[in-house]
Amino acid sequence: MNSSSAYETKPVIESRSRYHRPKLTKTLLNRYLAVLLLLLPALGLRLFTSVYPFFRTFYFAFTNYNPAFPPLEFTGFANFTRMINDLAVTSSLSFTVVFVLISTILQLIFGVLVALLLNSSFIGRTITRAVNLIPWAIPMVVAAMGFRWMFDSEYGLITDLTYRLTNLSIPWLTTSIGAKAAVIIANVWKSTPFLALVFLAALQGVPRELYEAATVDGANRLQTFFRITLPLILSQVVTIGLFMIVWQLAAFDLIYTMTGGGPGYATSVLAYNIYQAAFGGLNFGYASAISIVLFILVFIMGGLGLLLFRRVEVQY
Amino acid sequence: MLKTHSVHGKFTISRNHLERYFNRFLIYLGVALFLFIILLPFYWIFISSFTPKYQMFSIPPRWFPSEITFENYINLVDNIPFFRYYLNSLVFALFSSLLSVMLSFLAAYALARMRFKGSNIIFLIFVVSIAIPQIGTLVPLFEMYKSLQMINSRFGMILLMSSLILPFTVWTMVSFIQQLPEEMEEAARIDGANLVQVLWQIVVPVVKPAIATMVIINFIISWNELLFPLVFATSSATKTLSVGLVELAVDPAMGSGRPWDLMSALSVSMIIPVLLLVLFFQRLIVSGLTKGAVK
Repeated sequence: MNSSSAYETKPVIESRSRYHRPKLTKTLLNRYLAVLLLLLPALGLRLFTSVYPFFRTFYFAFTNYNPAFPPLEFTGFANFTRMINDLAVTSSLSFTVVFVLISTILQLIFGVLVALLLNSSFIGRTITRAVNLIPWAIPMVVAAMGFRWMFDSEYGLITDLTYRLTNLSIPWLTTSIGAKAAVIIANVWKSTPFLALVFLAALQGVPRELYEAATVDGANRLQTFFRITLPLILSQVVTIGLFMIVWQLAAFDLIYTMTGGGPGYATSVLAYNIYQAAFGGLNFGYASAISIVLFILVFIMGGLGLLLFRRVEVQY
Repeated sequence: MLKTHSVHGKFTISRNHLERYFNRFLIYLGVALFLFIILLPFYWIFISSFTPKYQMFSIPPRWFPSEITFENYINLVDNIPFFRYYLNSLVFALFSSLLSVMLSFLAAYALARMRFKGSNIIFLIFVVSIAIPQIGTLVPLFEMYKSLQMINSRFGMILLMSSLILPFTVWTMVSFIQQLPEEMEEAARIDGANLVQVLWQIVVPVVKPAIATMVIINFIISWNELLFPLVFATSSATKTLSVGLVELAVDPAMGSGRPWDLMSALSVSMIIPVLLLVLFFQRLIVSGLTKGAVK
């Protein structure tokens, strides 16, 4: 986090405070006051709109809170036992995990491939790199709507394309497996370019001499990739992978716009369930309980990811 | 390879040439495939918005319509409060972006430059709070906003949006500020400048590019936001374009078929400002997005 130069030029106060506590002089007091004033707006906003609601959810999860039917009562684990028999939630839970894991793995693989492609030299590279930014920059709702239409079983462009190529008319959005695949494809399309962008920046930091040395030693392309390129960008790959897992666990826009969770509950995810329970059915208590499940999932998968991250950090 | 070169000189040279041509070919094939996959949805949305409705629903789909029309755009303006939504989106995105960058700049300066007890912990709080899912905080936020009478309030939505993008902005700003030399600020402080003067006269002029970068990125992110406007904008006075789009998608009044003609026209109108920003500020955006991840 800290660059070495920032350390060297640190004010004297810091090094002194380590050894003998300085008196609370006027300058030091001013300093703390300044820090407080600078941090307070941002920190306050975060606390009120994110941290406080986060903890409040734990309270609501054990109530029958429904703004349409006022008396809010404490109901213990009723919301959680209800969830076990709720097919909408149980199938969403498993698809959330599948959706996130498959999406992230594909995004990482294609992200590295696209980054390698954009890092090689060819005519029109600058414009191609600009094009790579576009899927990141457009709204998820627009991408979801476009893909919903392209996967349409009658008028869809992709359905037409796969029919022309394979002579099979694939029922993308009307079957469970087809809809799941379609949602994941749309999601990978949307986020891969962002990963490619980060990996490309990392690749540009790899010194050229390393590749030249490898070529002189007679390494082939695969060897160069696995022995030199990948180890050097691995820390970025793992960091972004971790970020994508945590971030995509809460994916909502895509499912809401593209399939509405259908057909049946095939493509429903936890975030979609929470929204439906809260703002479709006004079951605020139940929605909070599902949120707790989502929090736990984020905690577990984020934690496992962090462990992996540590391992990689130690190795390289 | 060098060895064979000396023995069968001529042969290997031509083989090398072949290999090089083959490599070129592979790269251009990859680029073509990449561009096709990335641009196909855009082509489809774009061309559909200019396709007459009767040609839109044909089997097999028409890759190239035989006729171009602006009818879809005219119908769009007639069917939804389009300009109202556009203005709302602009206000929401612009002010969310400005507010988040302003607050982040102040916080990032404190975190990057002023060592104090617990600075690492506070930085960690910012970073870890990225992991709190937005969807999981909506119920308490809704309750809070209801009691504060801030539902359907523009200001309330801007506050929430700014907060959502704060952690990422702080994270990036800290990296930007840390790489600047500190001598100028030190000198100014020794000369007796106070904090406001140091920030405004020394730091802001130097971090201007970073500030501009984050304003652009946060504008794009806020412009694209769905969830907060969907929940907290309850009338057309505050609804944004993204809400307009999903309302078309799920509107029961439109019958069983979705109004693709209107939706594609709305999508194109919504993408255009973002595309312009990407075209003009590609370099800045890339630097901002990769700043935190690559060091």
